[in-house]
Amino acid sequence: MIEARALTLAYTSVVLEDVTLSVRTGELLAIVGPNGAGKSTLLRALAGIQTPLRGTVSVDGEHIAHMAPQTRAKHVTLVEVDEVTVGEMTVREAVALGRLPYRPWWRWSQAANDEAIVAGALERTDLAAQADRQIEALSSGERQRVWVALALAQQAPNLLFDEPTSHLDLRHATRMLSLLRELASDGAAVVIVVHDLNLAAAHADRIALLGTGRMLACDVPEQVFVEDLLSTAYSTPIVVRRIDGMLLAGPAAPPARRMLL
Amino acid sequence: MTRSRPIVLAAMLVMLAVAVAVGAASGSVAYSPATIVDTVLHPHASGQASLVLWSLRFPRIAIAALVGGALSVAGTLMQDLLGNPLVDPYLTGASAGAAFAIALAIAGGIPAAAYSAVALGASLATTLLVAALSRTGTGLSVERMIVAGIALSSLFAGLTTLVILWTPSSPVSLNILAWLGGSLAGHGWSDLRWAALYAAAGMVLALAAIPALNAMRLGVRRAQALGVDLDRTRWLVVIATCLLTSAAVSVSGIIGFIGLIVPHIVRAAIGHDVRWNVVAAVPTGAAILIVADAVARSVAPPTELPLGILLSLLGVPAFLYLATRRAKVA
Repeated sequence: MIEARALTLAYTSVVLEDVTLSVRTGELLAIVGPNGAGKSTLLRALAGIQTPLRGTVSVDGEHIAHMAPQTRAKHVTLVEVDEVTVGEMTVREAVALGRLPYRPWWRWSQAANDEAIVAGALERTDLAAQADRQIEALSSGERQRVWVALALAQQAPNLLFDEPTSHLDLRHATRMLSLLRELASDGAAVVIVVHDLNLAAAHADRIALLGTGRMLACDVPEQVFVEDLLSTAYSTPIVVRRIDGMLLAGPAAPPARRMLL
Repeated sequence: MTRSRPIVLAAMLVMLAVAVAVGAASGSVAYSPATIVDTVLHPHASGQASLVLWSLRFPRIAIAALVGGALSVAGTLMQDLLGNPLVDPYLTGASAGAAFAIALAIAGGIPAAAYSAVALGASLATTLLVAALSRTGTGLSVERMIVAGIALSSLFAGLTTLVILWTPSSPVSLNILAWLGGSLAGHGWSDLRWAALYAAAGMVLALAAIPALNAMRLGVRRAQALGVDLDRTRWLVVIATCLLTSAAVSVSGIIGFIGLIVPHIVRAAIGHDVRWNVVAAVPTGAAILIVADAVARSVAPPTELPLGILLSLLGVPAFLYLATRRAKVA
Protein backbone atom coordinates (compact mmCIF):
# COMPACT_ATOMS: atom_id res chain seq x y z
CA MET A 1 0.00 0.00 0.00
CA ILE A 2 1.25 3.47 -0.90
CA GLU A 3 0.05 6.67 0.68
CA ALA A 4 1.07 10.17 -0.40
CA ARG A 5 0.09 13.12 1.77
CA ALA A 6 0.11 16.75 0.65
CA LEU A 7 2.95 16.17 -1.81
CA THR A 8 4.49 19.17 -3.50
CA LEU A 9 7.07 18.26 -6.13
CA ALA A 10 9.52 20.62 -7.72
CA TYR A 11 12.64 20.85 -9.83
CA THR A 12 13.62 24.47 -10.37
CA SER A 13 9.94 25.40 -10.07
CA VAL A 14 6.95 23.63 -8.57
CA VAL A 15 5.58 20.92 -10.89
CA LEU A 16 2.77 19.53 -8.80
CA GLU A 17 1.19 20.84 -5.65
CA ASP A 18 -0.67 19.35 -2.73
CA VAL A 19 -1.29 15.81 -4.01
CA THR A 20 -2.84 13.36 -1.58
CA LEU A 21 -3.64 9.86 -2.75
CA SER A 22 -3.41 6.26 -1.69
CA VAL A 23 -3.17 3.00 -3.56
CA ARG A 24 -4.43 -0.03 -1.76
CA THR A 25 -3.28 -3.61 -2.02
CA GLY A 26 -5.08 -5.29 -4.93
CA GLU A 27 -5.75 -2.02 -6.69
CA LEU A 28 -4.58 -0.68 -10.05
CA LEU A 29 -4.39 3.10 -10.20
CA ALA A 30 -3.71 4.92 -13.48
CA ILE A 31 -2.20 8.38 -13.49
CA VAL A 32 -3.15 10.40 -16.58
CA GLY A 33 -2.67 13.96 -17.66
CA PRO A 34 -1.10 16.14 -20.34
CA ASN A 35 2.63 16.36 -21.07
CA GLY A 36 4.50 18.15 -18.30
CA ALA A 37 1.72 17.60 -15.76
CA GLY A 38 4.15 15.84 -13.41
CA LYS A 39 2.98 12.24 -13.88
CA SER A 40 6.47 10.71 -14.00
CA THR A 41 7.68 13.02 -11.25
CA LEU A 42 4.81 11.87 -9.03
CA LEU A 43 5.65 8.23 -9.80
CA ARG A 44 9.29 8.80 -8.87
CA ALA A 45 8.20 10.43 -5.62
CA LEU A 46 5.95 7.44 -4.84
CA ALA A 47 9.00 5.22 -5.50
CA GLY A 48 11.06 7.22 -3.02
CA ILE A 49 13.56 8.27 -5.69
CA GLN A 50 12.40 11.87 -6.02
CA THR A 51 12.49 13.82 -2.77
CA PRO A 52 9.34 15.94 -2.41
CA LEU A 53 9.60 19.62 -1.61
CA ARG A 54 6.81 19.14 0.91
CA GLY A 55 4.67 16.23 2.05
CA THR A 56 5.33 12.57 2.74
CA VAL A 57 5.10 9.17 1.09
CA SER A 58 4.50 5.99 3.10
CA VAL A 59 4.88 2.47 1.75
CA ASP A 60 3.34 -0.43 3.65
CA GLY A 61 2.92 1.89 6.62
CA GLU A 62 6.53 3.06 6.74
CA HIS A 63 7.80 6.50 5.83
CA ILE A 64 9.72 5.96 2.57
CA ALA A 65 12.27 8.68 3.34
CA HIS A 66 13.35 6.70 6.41
CA MET A 67 13.92 3.46 4.52
CA ALA A 68 17.40 2.35 3.42
CA PRO A 69 17.48 2.06 -0.40
CA GLN A 70 17.85 -1.72 -0.25
CA THR A 71 14.89 -2.07 2.13
CA ARG A 72 12.84 0.31 0.01
CA ALA A 73 13.53 -1.84 -3.06
CA LYS A 74 11.93 -4.83 -1.31
CA HIS A 75 8.72 -2.81 -0.85
CA VAL A 76 8.40 -0.74 -3.99
CA THR A 77 9.84 -0.69 -7.48
CA LEU A 78 9.58 1.62 -10.45
CA VAL A 79 9.78 0.63 -14.11
CA GLU A 80 10.70 3.44 -16.46
CA VAL A 81 11.11 3.35 -20.21
CA ASP A 82 14.42 5.20 -20.54
CA GLU A 83 16.63 3.50 -23.10
CA VAL A 84 20.19 2.73 -22.06
CA THR A 85 23.02 0.88 -23.73
CA VAL A 86 23.61 -2.07 -21.43
CA GLY A 87 26.43 -3.70 -23.37
CA GLU A 88 26.71 -7.45 -23.38
CA MET A 89 23.98 -8.87 -21.16
CA THR A 90 21.41 -11.59 -21.69
CA VAL A 91 17.76 -11.19 -20.79
CA ARG A 92 18.18 -13.72 -17.99
CA GLU A 93 21.21 -11.90 -16.54
CA ALA A 94 19.30 -8.61 -16.55
CA VAL A 95 16.22 -10.07 -14.89
CA ALA A 96 18.40 -11.82 -12.30
CA LEU A 97 19.56 -8.36 -11.16
CA GLY A 98 16.04 -8.03 -9.74
CA ARG A 99 17.25 -10.20 -6.86
CA LEU A 100 19.86 -7.62 -5.88
CA PRO A 101 17.92 -6.15 -2.93
CA TYR A 102 17.90 -9.58 -1.28
CA ARG A 103 21.66 -10.08 -1.36
CA PRO A 104 24.31 -8.57 0.89
CA TRP A 105 27.18 -7.03 -1.14
CA TRP A 106 29.59 -9.84 -0.35
CA ARG A 107 27.32 -12.52 -1.80
CA TRP A 108 27.71 -12.53 -5.57
CA SER A 109 26.00 -15.79 -6.39
CA GLN A 110 22.27 -16.43 -6.61
CA ALA A 111 20.33 -17.74 -3.64
CA ALA A 112 18.67 -21.16 -3.96
CA ASN A 113 15.24 -19.86 -5.00
CA ASP A 114 16.47 -16.97 -7.18
CA GLU A 115 16.63 -19.07 -10.33
CA ALA A 116 12.98 -20.16 -9.97
CA ILE A 117 11.85 -16.58 -9.28
CA VAL A 118 13.69 -15.28 -12.35
CA ALA A 119 12.27 -18.10 -14.49
CA GLY A 120 8.77 -17.24 -13.23
CA ALA A 121 9.24 -13.55 -14.10
CA LEU A 122 10.42 -14.48 -17.60
CA GLU A 123 7.48 -16.82 -18.05
CA ARG A 124 4.93 -14.22 -16.97
CA THR A 125 6.27 -11.65 -19.42
CA ASP A 126 6.46 -14.09 -22.36
CA LEU A 127 10.23 -13.91 -22.37
CA ALA A 128 11.13 -17.51 -21.51
CA ALA A 129 12.08 -18.23 -25.11
CA GLN A 130 14.22 -15.09 -25.28
CA ALA A 131 16.03 -15.68 -21.96
CA ASP A 132 19.45 -16.29 -23.48
CA ARG A 133 19.28 -13.54 -26.11
CA GLN A 134 21.28 -10.36 -25.76
CA ILE A 135 19.18 -7.39 -24.64
CA GLU A 136 20.70 -5.19 -27.34
CA ALA A 137 19.33 -7.60 -29.96
CA LEU A 138 15.71 -7.22 -28.77
CA SER A 139 13.07 -4.89 -30.16
CA SER A 140 12.09 -1.93 -27.97
CA GLY A 141 8.83 -3.68 -27.12
CA GLU A 142 10.63 -6.83 -26.02
CA ARG A 143 13.08 -4.73 -23.98
CA GLN A 144 10.14 -3.06 -22.28
CA ARG A 145 8.93 -6.48 -21.18
CA VAL A 146 12.43 -7.24 -19.86
CA TRP A 147 12.17 -4.23 -17.53
CA VAL A 148 8.78 -5.46 -16.33
CA ALA A 149 10.25 -8.94 -15.76
CA LEU A 150 13.06 -7.30 -13.78
CA ALA A 151 10.46 -5.65 -11.54
CA LEU A 152 8.62 -8.96 -11.10
CA ALA A 153 11.87 -10.68 -10.06
CA GLN A 154 12.27 -7.95 -7.47
CA GLN A 155 9.03 -9.19 -5.82
CA ALA A 156 8.11 -5.81 -4.36
CA PRO A 157 4.44 -5.67 -3.38
CA ASN A 158 4.09 -2.10 -4.70
CA LEU A 159 4.74 -1.75 -8.42
CA LEU A 160 5.00 1.52 -10.31
CA PHE A 161 5.13 1.61 -14.11
CA ASP A 162 5.85 4.66 -16.23
CA GLU A 163 4.32 4.20 -19.67
CA PRO A 164 4.34 0.37 -19.55
CA THR A 165 2.74 0.14 -23.01
CA SER A 166 4.57 2.91 -24.86
CA HIS A 167 6.59 0.59 -27.11
CA LEU A 168 4.05 -2.20 -27.36
CA ASP A 169 1.68 -3.11 -30.17
CA LEU A 170 -2.02 -3.42 -29.37
CA ARG A 171 -1.86 -7.14 -28.58
CA HIS A 172 1.16 -6.82 -26.29
CA ALA A 173 -0.22 -3.62 -24.73
CA THR A 174 -3.44 -5.43 -23.83
CA ARG A 175 -1.52 -8.43 -22.52
CA MET A 176 0.74 -6.14 -20.49
CA LEU A 177 -2.20 -4.38 -18.87
CA SER A 178 -3.88 -7.73 -18.22
CA LEU A 179 -0.66 -8.86 -16.53
CA LEU A 180 -0.58 -5.73 -14.36
CA ARG A 181 -4.24 -6.34 -13.54
CA GLU A 182 -3.35 -9.91 -12.53
CA LEU A 183 -0.52 -8.64 -10.33
CA ALA A 184 -2.98 -6.38 -8.56
CA SER A 185 -5.40 -9.30 -8.15
CA ASP A 186 -2.53 -11.32 -6.68
CA GLY A 187 -2.16 -8.71 -3.95
CA ALA A 188 0.11 -5.99 -5.35
CA ALA A 189 -0.62 -2.28 -5.33
CA VAL A 190 -0.04 -1.18 -8.93
CA VAL A 191 0.30 2.35 -10.26
CA ILE A 192 0.73 3.09 -13.96
CA VAL A 193 1.30 6.29 -15.87
CA VAL A 194 -0.37 6.09 -19.28
CA HIS A 195 -1.20 8.53 -22.05
CA ASP A 196 -4.01 6.46 -23.50
CA LEU A 197 -7.11 7.47 -21.54
CA ASN A 198 -9.14 4.60 -22.94
CA LEU A 199 -6.63 1.96 -21.85
CA ALA A 200 -6.65 3.57 -18.42
CA ALA A 201 -10.45 3.44 -18.24
CA ALA A 202 -10.52 -0.16 -19.42
CA HIS A 203 -7.97 -1.52 -16.95
CA ALA A 204 -7.68 0.75 -13.90
CA ASP A 205 -9.79 0.64 -10.76
CA ARG A 206 -9.26 4.36 -10.28
CA ILE A 207 -7.77 7.16 -12.32
CA ALA A 208 -5.77 10.10 -10.98
CA LEU A 209 -6.08 13.03 -13.39
CA LEU A 210 -3.31 15.60 -13.25
CA GLY A 211 -3.42 19.01 -14.89
CA THR A 212 -2.68 22.68 -14.27
CA GLY A 213 -0.14 21.78 -11.57
CA ARG A 214 -2.60 19.87 -9.40
CA MET A 215 -4.44 16.58 -9.10
CA LEU A 216 -7.85 17.42 -10.54
CA ALA A 217 -9.53 14.12 -9.67
CA CYS A 218 -8.78 10.67 -8.30
CA ASP A 219 -11.74 8.40 -8.63
CA VAL A 220 -13.31 5.51 -10.53
CA PRO A 221 -13.16 6.00 -14.32
CA GLU A 222 -16.87 6.97 -14.56
CA GLN A 223 -16.29 9.91 -12.23
CA VAL A 224 -13.11 11.10 -13.96
CA PHE A 225 -14.35 10.70 -17.53
CA VAL A 226 -16.28 13.94 -17.43
CA GLU A 227 -15.92 16.08 -20.53
CA ASP A 228 -15.41 19.39 -18.69
CA LEU A 229 -12.87 17.87 -16.33
CA LEU A 230 -10.81 16.21 -19.07
CA SER A 231 -11.06 19.29 -21.31
CA THR A 232 -9.72 21.46 -18.47
CA ALA A 233 -6.86 19.05 -17.78
CA TYR A 234 -5.77 18.77 -21.40
CA SER A 235 -6.68 22.37 -22.39
CA THR A 236 -8.49 21.04 -25.43
CA PRO A 237 -12.12 20.00 -26.04
CA ILE A 238 -12.61 16.33 -25.21
CA VAL A 239 -15.70 14.26 -25.71
CA VAL A 240 -16.64 11.16 -23.71
CA ARG A 241 -18.82 8.36 -25.06
CA ARG A 242 -19.90 4.99 -23.70
CA ILE A 243 -19.95 2.35 -26.42
CA ASP A 244 -20.87 -1.26 -25.62
CA GLY A 245 -20.24 -0.55 -21.96
CA MET A 246 -16.75 0.85 -22.61
CA LEU A 247 -15.84 4.40 -21.68
CA LEU A 248 -14.08 6.17 -24.53
CA ALA A 249 -12.62 9.65 -24.56
CA GLY A 250 -11.07 11.52 -27.44
CA PRO A 251 -10.52 14.97 -28.82
CA ALA A 252 -13.61 16.66 -30.14
CA ALA A 253 -13.39 16.71 -33.96
CA PRO A 254 -12.26 20.08 -35.30
CA PRO A 255 -15.01 22.22 -36.95
CA ALA A 256 -13.87 21.46 -40.52
CA ARG A 257 -13.96 17.71 -39.85
CA ARG A 258 -17.42 18.02 -38.22
CA MET A 259 -18.77 19.69 -41.33
CA LEU A 260 -17.57 16.80 -43.47
CA LEU A 261 -19.25 14.35 -41.16
CA MET B 1 30.25 -16.49 -22.84
CA THR B 2 28.83 -17.31 -19.38
CA ARG B 3 30.01 -20.92 -19.39
CA SER B 4 33.46 -20.08 -20.73
CA ARG B 5 34.26 -17.38 -18.15
CA PRO B 6 36.09 -19.69 -15.71
CA ILE B 7 38.12 -21.06 -18.64
CA VAL B 8 39.05 -17.53 -19.77
CA LEU B 9 40.01 -16.58 -16.23
CA ALA B 10 42.13 -19.74 -15.93
CA ALA B 11 43.84 -18.83 -19.23
CA MET B 12 44.57 -15.37 -17.83
CA LEU B 13 46.17 -16.90 -14.75
CA VAL B 14 48.31 -19.13 -16.98
CA MET B 15 49.34 -16.01 -18.93
CA LEU B 16 50.28 -14.35 -15.65
CA ALA B 17 52.46 -17.35 -14.73
CA VAL B 18 54.16 -17.15 -18.14
CA ALA B 19 54.64 -13.39 -17.69
CA VAL B 20 56.26 -13.97 -14.29
CA ALA B 21 58.62 -16.51 -15.87
CA VAL B 22 59.46 -14.07 -18.69
CA GLY B 23 59.98 -11.26 -16.18
CA ALA B 24 62.34 -13.39 -14.09
CA ALA B 25 64.30 -14.65 -17.09
CA SER B 26 64.70 -11.33 -18.91
CA GLY B 27 67.09 -8.49 -18.29
CA SER B 28 70.71 -7.59 -18.77
CA VAL B 29 71.53 -11.14 -17.63
CA ALA B 30 69.22 -13.86 -18.93
CA TYR B 31 68.42 -16.89 -16.76
CA SER B 32 67.16 -20.26 -17.89
CA PRO B 33 63.89 -21.68 -16.51
CA ALA B 34 65.91 -24.33 -14.61
CA THR B 35 67.96 -21.66 -12.85
CA ILE B 36 64.82 -19.71 -11.93
CA VAL B 37 63.08 -22.80 -10.53
CA ASP B 38 66.21 -23.77 -8.60
CA THR B 39 66.49 -20.24 -7.15
CA VAL B 40 62.85 -20.23 -6.12
CA LEU B 41 63.24 -23.61 -4.40
CA HIS B 42 66.44 -22.51 -2.61
CA PRO B 43 65.84 -18.91 -1.57
CA HIS B 44 68.81 -18.74 0.78
CA ALA B 45 71.38 -20.11 -1.66
CA SER B 46 74.35 -17.91 -2.44
CA GLY B 47 75.40 -16.91 -5.92
CA GLN B 48 74.69 -14.26 -8.49
CA ALA B 49 71.39 -15.74 -9.72
CA SER B 50 69.93 -15.87 -6.23
CA LEU B 51 71.03 -12.31 -5.51
CA VAL B 52 69.72 -10.88 -8.79
CA LEU B 53 66.44 -12.75 -8.71
CA TRP B 54 65.52 -12.35 -5.03
CA SER B 55 66.84 -8.82 -4.56
CA LEU B 56 66.02 -7.26 -7.92
CA ARG B 57 63.74 -9.16 -10.24
CA PHE B 58 61.25 -10.83 -7.91
CA PRO B 59 60.43 -7.62 -6.01
CA ARG B 60 60.21 -5.84 -9.33
CA ILE B 61 57.82 -8.47 -10.68
CA ALA B 62 55.73 -8.19 -7.52
CA ILE B 63 55.61 -4.39 -7.88
CA ALA B 64 54.74 -4.66 -11.58
CA ALA B 65 51.93 -7.09 -10.71
CA LEU B 66 50.63 -4.76 -8.01
CA VAL B 67 50.79 -1.66 -10.24
CA GLY B 68 49.30 -3.40 -13.27
CA GLY B 69 46.54 -5.06 -11.27
CA ALA B 70 45.71 -1.95 -9.24
CA LEU B 71 45.55 0.41 -12.24
CA SER B 72 43.50 -2.09 -14.24
CA VAL B 73 40.93 -2.55 -11.45
CA ALA B 74 40.80 1.23 -10.90
CA GLY B 75 40.23 1.76 -14.63
CA THR B 76 37.46 -0.84 -14.70
CA LEU B 77 35.72 0.78 -11.74
CA MET B 78 35.90 4.31 -13.16
CA GLN B 79 34.74 3.25 -16.61
CA ASP B 80 31.77 1.43 -15.14
CA LEU B 81 30.88 4.23 -12.74
CA LEU B 82 30.96 6.90 -15.43
CA GLY B 83 29.58 4.61 -18.15
CA ASN B 84 32.43 5.80 -20.35
CA PRO B 85 34.99 3.36 -21.78
CA LEU B 86 37.45 6.16 -22.54
CA VAL B 87 38.06 7.03 -18.90
CA ASP B 88 41.28 6.10 -17.13
CA PRO B 89 41.98 5.95 -13.39
CA TYR B 90 44.05 9.15 -13.49
CA LEU B 91 40.87 11.11 -14.26
CA THR B 92 40.59 12.14 -10.63
CA GLY B 93 43.93 13.95 -10.80
CA ALA B 94 45.80 11.37 -8.70
CA SER B 95 48.76 11.16 -11.07
CA ALA B 96 49.05 14.90 -11.73
CA GLY B 97 48.94 15.69 -8.01
CA ALA B 98 51.57 13.05 -7.26
CA ALA B 99 53.75 14.26 -10.12
CA PHE B 100 53.73 17.83 -8.82
CA ALA B 101 54.50 16.73 -5.27
CA ILE B 102 57.36 14.49 -6.45
CA ALA B 103 58.75 17.29 -8.63
CA LEU B 104 58.77 19.55 -5.59
CA ALA B 105 60.30 16.80 -3.43
CA ILE B 106 63.10 16.10 -5.92
CA ALA B 107 63.77 19.81 -6.50
CA GLY B 108 63.71 20.36 -2.73
CA GLY B 109 66.30 17.65 -2.14
CA ILE B 110 64.08 15.33 -0.12
CA PRO B 111 65.65 11.84 0.14
CA ALA B 112 64.56 9.38 -2.55
CA ALA B 113 63.36 6.96 0.12
CA ALA B 114 60.54 9.35 0.89
CA TYR B 115 59.25 9.64 -2.70
CA SER B 116 56.78 6.79 -2.37
CA ALA B 117 55.22 8.32 0.72
CA VAL B 118 55.11 11.76 -0.92
CA ALA B 119 53.44 10.36 -4.06
CA LEU B 120 50.98 8.35 -2.00
CA GLY B 121 49.99 11.34 0.11
CA ALA B 122 49.73 13.72 -2.84
CA SER B 123 47.63 11.42 -5.02
CA LEU B 124 45.28 10.70 -2.10
CA ALA B 125 44.99 14.41 -1.32
CA THR B 126 44.31 15.35 -4.95
CA THR B 127 41.61 12.71 -5.38
CA LEU B 128 39.93 13.75 -2.15
CA LEU B 129 40.11 17.40 -3.25
CA VAL B 130 38.45 16.50 -6.56
CA ALA B 131 35.78 14.54 -4.66
CA ALA B 132 35.21 17.51 -2.32
CA LEU B 133 34.82 19.84 -5.32
CA SER B 134 32.34 17.38 -6.86
CA ARG B 135 29.94 17.36 -3.93
CA THR B 136 26.49 18.78 -4.51
CA GLY B 137 23.47 19.09 -2.27
CA THR B 138 22.27 15.66 -3.37
CA GLY B 139 25.61 13.84 -3.33
CA LEU B 140 28.63 13.29 -5.52
CA SER B 141 28.22 14.52 -9.10
CA VAL B 142 30.19 12.48 -11.62
CA GLU B 143 29.99 15.29 -14.18
CA ARG B 144 31.56 17.72 -11.72
CA MET B 145 34.16 15.11 -10.86
CA ILE B 146 35.25 14.86 -14.49
CA VAL B 147 35.49 18.65 -14.79
CA ALA B 148 37.30 19.06 -11.45
CA GLY B 149 39.67 16.15 -12.26
CA ILE B 150 40.59 17.57 -15.66
CA ALA B 151 40.98 21.10 -14.24
CA LEU B 152 43.21 20.06 -11.35
CA SER B 153 45.23 17.72 -13.59
CA SER B 154 45.91 20.63 -15.95
CA LEU B 155 46.83 22.89 -13.05
CA PHE B 156 49.26 20.37 -11.55
CA ALA B 157 50.74 19.50 -14.95
CA GLY B 158 51.46 23.21 -15.50
CA LEU B 159 52.97 23.59 -12.04
CA THR B 160 55.12 20.47 -12.56
CA THR B 161 56.50 21.93 -15.79
CA LEU B 162 57.19 25.16 -13.96
CA VAL B 163 59.17 23.31 -11.26
CA ILE B 164 61.22 21.53 -13.97
CA LEU B 165 61.89 24.80 -15.82
CA TRP B 166 62.86 26.67 -12.68
CA THR B 167 65.14 23.92 -11.39
CA PRO B 168 68.66 25.22 -11.99
CA SER B 169 70.37 21.82 -11.97
CA SER B 170 69.77 19.66 -15.04
CA PRO B 171 70.41 16.33 -13.21
CA VAL B 172 67.57 17.23 -10.87
CA SER B 173 65.31 18.07 -13.83
CA LEU B 174 66.23 14.77 -15.45
CA ASN B 175 65.45 12.97 -12.21
CA ILE B 176 61.98 14.55 -12.17
CA LEU B 177 61.42 13.65 -15.81
CA ALA B 178 62.54 10.06 -15.16
CA TRP B 179 59.99 9.77 -12.37
CA LEU B 180 57.28 11.22 -14.59
CA GLY B 181 58.18 8.70 -17.30
CA GLY B 182 57.22 5.87 -14.98
CA SER B 183 59.63 3.16 -13.94
CA LEU B 184 59.89 0.22 -11.59
CA ALA B 185 63.64 0.55 -11.29
CA GLY B 186 65.27 0.93 -7.90
CA HIS B 187 62.41 -0.47 -5.84
CA GLY B 188 62.65 -3.39 -3.45
CA TRP B 189 60.47 -5.47 -1.16
CA SER B 190 60.30 -2.66 1.41
CA ASP B 191 58.54 -0.36 -1.09
CA LEU B 192 55.77 -2.89 -1.48
CA ARG B 193 54.61 -2.76 2.12
CA TRP B 194 52.50 0.40 2.12
CA ALA B 195 51.52 0.13 -1.52
CA ALA B 196 50.21 -3.41 -0.98
CA LEU B 197 48.26 -2.31 2.08
CA TYR B 198 46.61 0.57 0.21
CA ALA B 199 45.92 -1.58 -2.84
CA ALA B 200 44.34 -4.28 -0.64
CA ALA B 201 42.09 -1.71 1.05
CA GLY B 202 41.15 -0.34 -2.37
CA MET B 203 40.37 -3.84 -3.61
CA VAL B 204 38.03 -4.55 -0.67
CA LEU B 205 36.13 -1.32 -1.37
CA ALA B 206 36.04 -2.20 -5.07
CA LEU B 207 34.47 -5.57 -4.26
CA ALA B 208 31.86 -3.80 -2.11
CA ALA B 209 30.89 -1.57 -5.05
CA ILE B 210 30.63 -4.34 -7.63
CA PRO B 211 26.96 -5.44 -7.18
CA ALA B 212 25.82 -1.81 -7.45
CA LEU B 213 28.01 -1.19 -10.51
CA ASN B 214 26.51 -4.25 -12.17
CA ALA B 215 23.01 -2.89 -11.55
CA MET B 216 24.06 0.53 -12.88
CA ARG B 217 24.70 -1.11 -16.24
CA LEU B 218 20.90 -1.06 -16.59
CA GLY B 219 20.96 2.72 -16.16
CA VAL B 220 21.09 4.75 -12.97
CA ARG B 221 17.31 4.98 -12.72
CA ARG B 222 16.84 1.22 -12.80
CA ALA B 223 19.71 0.83 -10.37
CA GLN B 224 17.95 3.21 -7.98
CA ALA B 225 14.75 1.19 -8.30
CA LEU B 226 16.81 -1.91 -7.44
CA GLY B 227 17.86 -0.28 -4.19
CA VAL B 228 21.30 0.94 -5.24
CA ASP B 229 22.47 3.87 -3.15
CA LEU B 230 24.04 5.91 -5.94
CA ASP B 231 25.89 8.29 -3.67
CA ARG B 232 27.36 5.50 -1.54
CA THR B 233 28.46 3.65 -4.68
CA ARG B 234 30.12 6.76 -6.13
CA TRP B 235 32.03 7.38 -2.91
CA LEU B 236 33.05 3.73 -2.68
CA VAL B 237 34.39 3.77 -6.23
CA VAL B 238 36.15 7.11 -5.84
CA ILE B 239 37.88 6.05 -2.62
CA ALA B 240 38.73 2.59 -4.00
CA THR B 241 40.15 4.13 -7.18
CA CYS B 242 42.03 6.68 -5.10
CA LEU B 243 43.67 3.98 -2.95
CA LEU B 244 44.50 1.71 -5.89
CA THR B 245 45.90 4.52 -8.04
CA SER B 246 47.85 6.07 -5.18
CA ALA B 247 49.37 2.70 -4.32
CA ALA B 248 50.47 2.27 -7.96
CA VAL B 249 51.78 5.81 -8.42
CA SER B 250 53.78 5.63 -5.20
CA VAL B 251 55.98 2.79 -6.49
CA SER B 252 55.98 3.35 -10.24
CA GLY B 253 55.53 7.02 -11.09
CA ILE B 254 53.12 7.77 -13.88
CA ILE B 255 52.28 4.72 -15.96
CA GLY B 256 49.52 5.56 -18.37
CA PHE B 257 47.16 3.63 -20.62
CA ILE B 258 47.22 0.34 -18.73
CA GLY B 259 44.21 1.49 -16.70
CA LEU B 260 42.46 2.46 -19.90
CA ILE B 261 43.28 -0.50 -22.10
CA VAL B 262 43.10 -3.50 -19.76
CA PRO B 263 39.37 -3.08 -18.96
CA HIS B 264 38.72 -3.25 -22.72
CA ILE B 265 40.85 -6.36 -23.17
CA VAL B 266 39.07 -8.00 -20.24
CA ARG B 267 35.60 -7.10 -21.53
CA ALA B 268 36.45 -8.47 -24.95
CA ALA B 269 37.67 -11.71 -23.37
CA ILE B 270 35.19 -12.32 -20.57
CA GLY B 271 32.11 -10.16 -21.16
CA HIS B 272 30.70 -7.13 -19.37
CA ASP B 273 29.80 -8.54 -15.94
CA VAL B 274 31.60 -6.23 -13.50
CA ARG B 275 32.26 -9.10 -11.06
CA TRP B 276 34.30 -11.03 -13.63
CA ASN B 277 35.83 -7.85 -15.06
CA VAL B 278 37.33 -6.77 -11.75
CA VAL B 279 38.61 -10.23 -10.90
CA ALA B 280 40.08 -10.76 -14.39
CA ALA B 281 41.60 -7.26 -14.52
CA VAL B 282 44.09 -8.25 -11.81
CA PRO B 283 45.98 -11.05 -13.66
CA THR B 284 45.62 -9.33 -17.03
CA GLY B 285 46.98 -5.96 -15.88
CA ALA B 286 49.68 -7.67 -13.84
CA ALA B 287 50.80 -9.87 -16.77
CA ILE B 288 50.92 -6.95 -19.23
CA LEU B 289 52.97 -4.76 -16.91
CA ILE B 290 55.37 -7.56 -15.96
CA VAL B 291 56.04 -8.27 -19.65
CA ALA B 292 56.26 -4.56 -20.52
CA ASP B 293 58.77 -4.07 -17.72
CA ALA B 294 60.78 -7.03 -18.96
CA VAL B 295 60.82 -5.44 -22.43
CA ALA B 296 61.72 -2.03 -20.99
CA ARG B 297 64.85 -3.41 -19.32
CA SER B 298 65.83 -5.86 -22.09
CA VAL B 299 65.71 -3.67 -25.21
CA ALA B 300 68.96 -1.78 -24.62
CA PRO B 301 70.68 -3.05 -21.45
CA PRO B 302 71.94 -1.69 -19.17
CA THR B 303 69.77 1.33 -20.07
CA GLU B 304 66.08 0.97 -19.33
CA LEU B 305 63.28 2.46 -21.38
CA PRO B 306 60.89 4.43 -19.18
CA LEU B 307 57.99 2.03 -18.63
CA GLY B 308 55.32 4.73 -18.76
CA ILE B 309 56.62 5.95 -22.10
CA LEU B 310 56.86 2.43 -23.50
CA LEU B 311 53.23 1.75 -22.54
CA SER B 312 52.17 5.11 -23.99
CA LEU B 313 53.80 4.20 -27.30
CA LEU B 314 51.73 1.02 -27.34
CA GLY B 315 48.68 2.58 -25.70
CA VAL B 316 48.15 5.60 -27.96
CA PRO B 317 47.32 3.55 -31.07
CA ALA B 318 45.02 1.36 -28.98
CA PHE B 319 43.32 4.44 -27.51
CA LEU B 320 42.83 6.01 -30.95
CA TYR B 321 41.41 2.74 -32.24
CA LEU B 322 38.90 2.62 -29.38
CA ALA B 323 37.97 6.28 -29.78
CA THR B 324 37.33 5.96 -33.51
CA ARG B 325 35.43 2.70 -33.08
CA ARG B 326 33.25 4.33 -30.41
CA ALA B 327 32.60 7.30 -32.68
CA LYS B 328 31.54 4.94 -35.46
CA VAL B 329 29.18 3.08 -33.10
CA ALA B 330 27.69 6.39 -31.90
